[in-house]
Amino acid sequence: MAIVDEFRRVKGTGKAGRSRSAAHRFDGRAAVVFLAPWFLGLAFITVGPMVASAYLSFTDYSLLEPPQWIGLDNYTRMFEDPRLLNALQVTFTYVLVSVPLQLGAALGLALLLDKGLRGLAFYRSVFYLPSLLGGSVAVALLWRQVFGAEGLVNQFLALFGIQGQGWVSHPDYALGTLMILNVWTFGAPMVIFLAGLRQIPQMYYEAASIDGAGRIRKFTAITFPMLTPIIFFNLILQLINAFQTFTQAAVISGGTGGPADSTMVYTLYLYQKGFTALDMGYASAMAWLLLAIVAGMTAINFLASKYWVFYND
Amino acid sequence: MNSSTRPTRTWWRIGALLAVGTLALSGCNGDNGAAPGDGDDDDTTASEDSGPVEIRFSWWGSDDRHETTQQVIDLFEDKNPDITVVPDFTDWGGYWDKLATTVAGGDTPDVITQEERYLSDYASRGVLADLDEIGVETDAIDPSILDSGTTDGGLYGVATGVNAYAIVADPAIFEQAGVDMPDDTTWTWEDFVDIANEISANTPDGVYGMQEFGGNEAGFTIYARQHGQSLYGQDGGVGYDDELLTEWNQLTMDMIEGGGQPDPAKSVEIADGGPEQSLLGTGAGAMGFWWSNQLPAISSAAGHELTLLRVPGESEFDRTGMYFKPAMYYSVSKESAHPEAAAKFVNFLLNDPEAGALILADRGLPANLDVREAISGDLEPADQLSAEFLGGLQTEIVDGPPVPPTGAAEVPEITTRLNTELIFGQMSPADVASQFTTEVSSAIGG
Repeated sequence: MAIVDEFRRVKGTGKAGRSRSAAHRFDGRAAVVFLAPWFLGLAFITVGPMVASAYLSFTDYSLLEPPQWIGLDNYTRMFEDPRLLNALQVTFTYVLVSVPLQLGAALGLALLLDKGLRGLAFYRSVFYLPSLLGGSVAVALLWRQVFGAEGLVNQFLALFGIQGQGWVSHPDYALGTLMILNVWTFGAPMVIFLAGLRQIPQMYYEAASIDGAGRIRKFTAITFPMLTPIIFFNLILQLINAFQTFTQAAVISGGTGGPADSTMVYTLYLYQKGFTALDMGYASAMAWLLLAIVAGMTAINFLASKYWVFYND
Repeated sequence: MNSSTRPTRTWWRIGALLAVGTLALSGCNGDNGAAPGDGDDDDTTASEDSGPVEIRFSWWGSDDRHETTQQVIDLFEDKNPDITVVPDFTDWGGYWDKLATTVAGGDTPDVITQEERYLSDYASRGVLADLDEIGVETDAIDPSILDSGTTDGGLYGVATGVNAYAIVADPAIFEQAGVDMPDDTTWTWEDFVDIANEISANTPDGVYGMQEFGGNEAGFTIYARQHGQSLYGQDGGVGYDDELLTEWNQLTMDMIEGGGQPDPAKSVEIADGGPEQSLLGTGAGAMGFWWSNQLPAISSAAGHELTLLRVPGESEFDRTGMYFKPAMYYSVSKESAHPEAAAKFVNFLLNDPEAGALILADRGLPANLDVREAISGDLEPADQLSAEFLGGLQTEIVDGPPVPPTGAAEVPEITTRLNTELIFGQMSPADVASQFTTEVSSAIGG
């Protein structure tokens, strides 16, 4: 109907068309008014700063003086910055290890909880809780204690006669504690997986049972393929999240990215460049490189999704 | 027709509101531009400003400092009813982000607390006013410390008070280990390493001779000065040889190999914990490098009296290396709408005995020698000890290092990071030295 009306309006034919288009125009205005707060937010809080940072990325800007145009210098400097390469390496390690583990844990628990457990709502909330807390400063501080020299982990190891060490203060292990923290926040993807499992029609399982399929066969032939769009969705979301991780690394390393740059994730280095080294132009250029990397990773995922994501429509 | 007039009217209203807002903003700007000319007499300037004025004072610190500073502000406002001082404080971690952002936003505080490593960054970029020009009185300030605020051809900060980087020692642990306290006027760096190793060997596991010390560039600054060199050179680059820095790094390695300091992971962990979790603060170590104004905090964490020692090597080489460091500085914004009121407030903070009696040694032992004299009886025992210690140094200290160059704010991070590589054995002392030189040169050159 709407398309037909639209067509009539464009053609300028028929009375009905004209009165409908007036109503449309009114609807349109109402929509503009109701959307205005969101548009203002988008313009001033998202698009404005993005445009500003795009401009600043071509300038030498110390925050204390007006920016000066230097063309592509910030971008070419990035290729000669060994600490930037290190930050990229740390971030990629963090993302590529912790995201698959996190999604695996989320899917595993979702499958367990989907068994029609009594008190499901309670367990769901309990497992979801870390997702709400995981990004907070308080939990990052707690993590420092848990993995410290006198922390819970070492007290546990001591029961078996193993003398642990300060995990967050050793360059070989500090990033590992950050990854564990990220895996621990599996609750958000888990809840989405649970919802996805509920969407799978029971009749498929019934038909499979009649054909004599076992549990594993049911998972590989029904559950997993039906769940691939959800897995894909979670993967994209968590990848983007993990690339932008900041709070945990900042708090656990005391803002330094230490020991010895082992937890210097990309955004933390960006922040240090902008606010400690007062090199906001370079930091802005770094932000755009991160955007390009995240966009690139997402694009690769979308291309690859053709080969493994199954849309049941 | 009816349906379209209503939104139009709304748009008009929004437009009008925006216009009023813009006018109000430009009104503020006009106010900023209308800073009164130079008034020589402090008492008349406030009235020249046509009525009451408001200035903003920014500082960092703990809750104790915030309370004390508010008392000082109240006192100032009682004495100067036409000046209102708006407090603007955060903790150390957030202070510099906030300050840089407010400067970028054109909302610089009138009176700014500054720190050595940032002073040149702000002064060279034209954020700070020359305090001599706006009438800050510095007659009673210790002359050797006044230079520390002079950079880029002007006085951009006045030291609030002084500190010295020194060794804090716990006599109880020396006694427990059966090691004599060294004579700190003659001990060498070799003595220092030997003593630390010996104490670790003679005490139970978990008690050490010395807390890891390579992560603060102040230590190497002193070592370089003892050899007639310096961390930063006069002409913009670094002022030392890589061989000297390698020697300095080797001291740390000698102490790790000899057991004088904890394993690297533990060192990193306690370094982040401040005075409360330090070896001295937890009764687990005999010595540590600290700023003299940290003595009260460490002593109270330890629960008993600690003492201060001169840095080793003060009589070993060409000259002494210790120096007075300005604890912080008071600076005034160049954009301040009320520079006279700001100068008056800085004068009050620096020179007023009543203000001094409230602040005591919280911002370092007062740089104003009259105030220092007046409050010496009111100090806590630990502060008194550090005051006496600094008094003893007065004649030994040759000069102060120059104001760190622009870009020096990055140096603490570089020092800590490379020192971590060193103590974990990931880089050799010589490699750390050349890497440090490369990175520092690039930070202060760029």
